[in-house]
Formats: sequence, structure tokens, C-alpha cells
Amino acid sequence: MKLKQLLKLILINITQNKMRTFLTTLGVIVGTATIFLVVAIGKGGEAQINEQYSKLNVGTIIVMAAPRGRVVDPLTKKDAQLFLASENITRAFPVLRGNGDINYDNYSTSGNYMAIQPEFQVSNNLIVEQGRELEEEDENKKNKCAVIGAELANTLTDGNPSEIVGHSISINSRKFEVVGIYKAVGDSGSGMSYDDSVFIPYSVGERFLLGTRANPTINVQATSIDTVQLAIEDITAILNETHRAGGAEQFRILDAGSRLVAAQESARSMSMLLLAVAIVVLIVSGIGIMNVMFVTVKERTREIGTLKAIGAKKREILGQFLIEAVVISLVGGVLGVIVGFVAVPLLKYFELPALPSISGILLGLVFSVITGVFFGFYPAWKAAEFNPIDALRYE
Amino acid sequence: MEHGAKIVIDTRQLVKIYQNGSEELKVLDDVNIKVSNSDFIAILGPSGSGKSTLMNILGCLDIPTSGQYYLDGLDVLKASDNELAEIRNKKIGFIFQKFNLLPKLTAVQNVMLPLLYRGVKEEEAWETAREKLSILGLEARLHHRPNELSGGQQQRVAIARAIVGTPQLLLADEPTGNLDSKSSGDAMEIFKELNRQGNTIVIITHDIEVAEQVRKIFYIRDGKIHENG
Repeated sequence: MKLKQLLKLILINITQNKMRTFLTTLGVIVGTATIFLVVAIGKGGEAQINEQYSKLNVGTIIVMAAPRGRVVDPLTKKDAQLFLASENITRAFPVLRGNGDINYDNYSTSGNYMAIQPEFQVSNNLIVEQGRELEEEDENKKNKCAVIGAELANTLTDGNPSEIVGHSISINSRKFEVVGIYKAVGDSGSGMSYDDSVFIPYSVGERFLLGTRANPTINVQATSIDTVQLAIEDITAILNETHRAGGAEQFRILDAGSRLVAAQESARSMSMLLLAVAIVVLIVSGIGIMNVMFVTVKERTREIGTLKAIGAKKREILGQFLIEAVVISLVGGVLGVIVGFVAVPLLKYFELPALPSISGILLGLVFSVITGVFFGFYPAWKAAEFNPIDALRYE
Repeated sequence: MEHGAKIVIDTRQLVKIYQNGSEELKVLDDVNIKVSNSDFIAILGPSGSGKSTLMNILGCLDIPTSGQYYLDGLDVLKASDNELAEIRNKKIGFIFQKFNLLPKLTAVQNVMLPLLYRGVKEEEAWETAREKLSILGLEARLHHRPNELSGGQQQRVAIARAIVGTPQLLLADEPTGNLDSKSSGDAMEIFKELNRQGNTIVIITHDIEVAEQVRKIFYIRDGKIHENG
């Protein structure tokens, strides 16, 4: 029999048992939708990570106080200068972070501020949208000026950020003149959004806002991604030398590359976990298909006998029932992909990044077909092997 | 007989033994039958006489324990599974007691099936099937499913399916067993007409009235064949 006619025959059988077909496909729908979403979430997460870290140079190293550790003698501006002696390091500058009350024109909010040297703007791709950036002169003269992030400017001015340039704001009751606004950069990946922060010269922050409690982190730029490890070794050696009281152990040295890798790995292991769930769902639904196919074959025993009597070959019976199982699972697969598409906006609502993709659709469909073939084969083979006399006699 | 020379069925010393534990049950014992082209014969016997086993072997659904069977000159016992399927498809038309129509297919789809298994194009198969159904007076019932047809009509669909591929042999198993007396009379008239047109027909029955309407009767009892009683 030609494939086209075989398919017609199969469709007649499937469509005349719509309810059973649908119930059989439920598991496949869930399984395929899960696979589709796994891929979508994986891709979405990857895109998010890449976007976050695209702003962070992979050669960036951050030296900071170890979390929960007691810092005996904190990092200083001088350490940054010492790091520059290493041939593997091109840039090193301290950064101070803090938060406090920020006021502008009777409007008050609590926010982050960062005391930076001008180089920080280069290595973090901070570009001014309006006004000017922080300059070397501000640092040297301890100018009480500030450049603010796009989001914060928006908040303070109630949606009219341009008006703030040239005016003064106060941070913890100290006045600063706003000289510029940075372009929005999105999430920095460091847990603190630059768009929501205000930036002031390092020397000013050290003197007026944080004083002796200053506990800076030092941003270091390695000459290239290959020298990151060497640079970390140099930093450790220098810290051990200069901070004899506590040694390098009181600090934590992070490099952006390994953070990126760690983030990607955790996203990947999440995907693998979800994929494993999807495969378990498909196996269970496959067993369901196998059950239904056994029932179908049993119900149609006499029909199989008749088909054999009028000339159906074993492979044609095998093909008929195998394709029937595959069609059922493929229907489930297609419905599953549709369900997946419907679920994507839902995930986005819950702030799970999901990116539908062709590879997700294909993977879902391929797995649904594999399920049909794998679990449909045994019942179909049984049907093909029926002895025609016994099958014809079956009541 | 017009085409008397050609032999359609030729069995020699057919023996069928069923092994039931250590007990051997000889269902067919040295069966020799010759059926010529355009013959119309009945194999008559009570239940348990071995007539069903004989029909299965003649229909290439079963193989004998020993002996030889030539169908239309072909040594059936040397054929592979696939070749047997092809022989059943091309050389034999089955008519079952319970009609065995596929319940989900319409009358015309049921009749088309043997041609489709043969690889005939769908349009051509449909046309041939329609033609056979019209000859049997079912022109208006082409798209009815079996459960929408009377027993007699189902029987005629089954006959149409058997003859659609112009097989060398029509094999009918208790063809009137599930019909009322009128339909059963009609069915016999159809068989007689088919025979007049040159079809070779073998009817398996336990009904002496059916058997008496054919040209030649083989009686079967305890696995042995007797011609004319």
C-alpha cells in the first residue's frame, strides 16, 4: 500500500477516536511544551547573562573585602597604585560604594552612590547623555560635583531629567552640583544598577561622605583575558606584602570571566534539570501511548486478521500501527509547542526570561516523535506478528 | 466445462496435525482435492470435521503438516510470508461468515482495500470498487459504513471486496450463516451468477441446502474427504 493511502487509513482511525487520541496526547503535550520552554528559558537566560556581562570587560578583576570576614586593614587608594606595578595589569582604581538619602528640589529618595575615579567610566562603558563626565580635575580639586544615572535622574525630576543638570542635589545632606547624566546601561551584573546610582569623584567621597570608614573595592584591568590568572597571582602577592596584618585572605578577588562562566554554568545546569523533567514526562506519556496502542491492537485483532487475509504484509501492519502511534505523539508535540508559545508571555510576567526558538520547536517535536516510535513499536510489532487464523477467530 | 483444462486447486495428501500436549490430533487426513477453473464446489461437513482448517490452508492462511498444495500452478508451501500475503491479495478473494468489514471505513473504502494493498492508484481503485458495488446493487450505499447497512448489504459489500481484484479463487466460509433466508437466497444467486461469469468458487458450509445448489460437493468427516457422500 502506498504511504498516502496508509496515512489516510490511519487518519480515519485516529479521527474517529478523537477523545482517546486527545487523552493519549496529553502527556506528550506537557512533555513537548516543557522541552520547548526549557530551551526558551535556557536561551533567554543566556541572552540575559550575555547582555549583563557585555558591559563588563572579561579582563576585569575586582578586589574587595571578603564577605563576612573581618578586615583588619582595609584596601586603600595606594593599593591600586601598587597593583599597577604588575606587568599584567593595565588599570587599577578604587571604588567606594555607599547609600544614603538623595535630595533634589524637595524630592527625597534613598539611593546608591559611588565614588569613582574617571577611569571607572571607561572600563564600565559609562557615557554621558547630557552635560559632562567626571574628570581628572574634579578628582584633583575635590570638586563637589556628581553625574547621575538615567533612572535616578528620571526619578528625582519626575520624568524630566534634563532640568537637573547644573542644579544641585544633596547626598546625606551634603550638596553636590550635577554636571551630567549617564546613558542608561541596564543591569550591571554586579547586583547594583548604575542607572539608579549617583557618581561622585573618589577623593570627594573619601573625604566628605565616608571618611575613615572608607573600605573601597579596587577594580583592576588585566592586560588581556589570558593574563587574568597571572594578574590575580600578582595582586595576591602584593596584598600579602602590604597587608601583613591580615594578609590576602581577608580580601576576595573576583574576575569577570569566571563569574560569567559560573553564571552560564548555573543557567545550564538549570536547563539540564528541566530537560530531565521533560524527558521523564515524555517517558511516562510514552508508556501511556504504548498502553493505548495495546488496547487499540487488541480491539482491532479481527480487523488485523482481515487485513492479512486480503493481502496486507507484516511490514504494512507494522507500519500502520507504528505510524498511528507516531501521528498521535506528533499531534501531541504540535499542541505542546502551541502550549509552550502561550506559556512564554506568562513566564515573562513572572520575570523569567524566555526566548522561543526554532531549535526549541524542533527539539520538542523530535522528542515527541521519538516517544511515538519507541513506545509504538512493540504494540505494532505484536500486531504484525499476529497469526491470521487466530486473529480472524478473535471475538 | 468451458475452461476445464486449467486446475486452480490441487492438493496432494494434505495432513494437518495439532499437537495438544503429548496428544496428537489429526484434523486433516490425506486430503486430495482438485478444483478446476470455473468450478463451483461446496465443502460440506459438521463442526469439528476439519473444514475450517481446510479452508485456512486453501486460503493460504495456514500451512499443512505435510502434503502439497498447488494454487493456480504455484507451489504455495514454498512461498515466504510476504509471497503468501501477495498470493492472498491477488489470487484469493475471501468472503467471511461475519463479513469482516472494517467498521470505520465506508463501503467503497472497504472494497478498495485489496487493490490498495496491491499498489493500485487510489482513483483507479475507487472507480473499480464503485463499479463492483454497482453491479451488486449498492450504488446508493457507497459512502455508508457497515453499521448503516443490513446484513444482506454487508454481505454484498464483502462479496464486492472479494471479487474486486479478480482473483482466481473465491473462498466463502459459511457465507449464508449470518443471513436470514431471503438474503441467503439472494447471496446464493449472486454466487451462481459470479460462477456463470467464470469465477471459481469454493463454499465451506454445514448447510446441506446451500451445498445442493452447487455443481460438486465434497463431504468432509473426521478430516477425510469423500466425494459425493
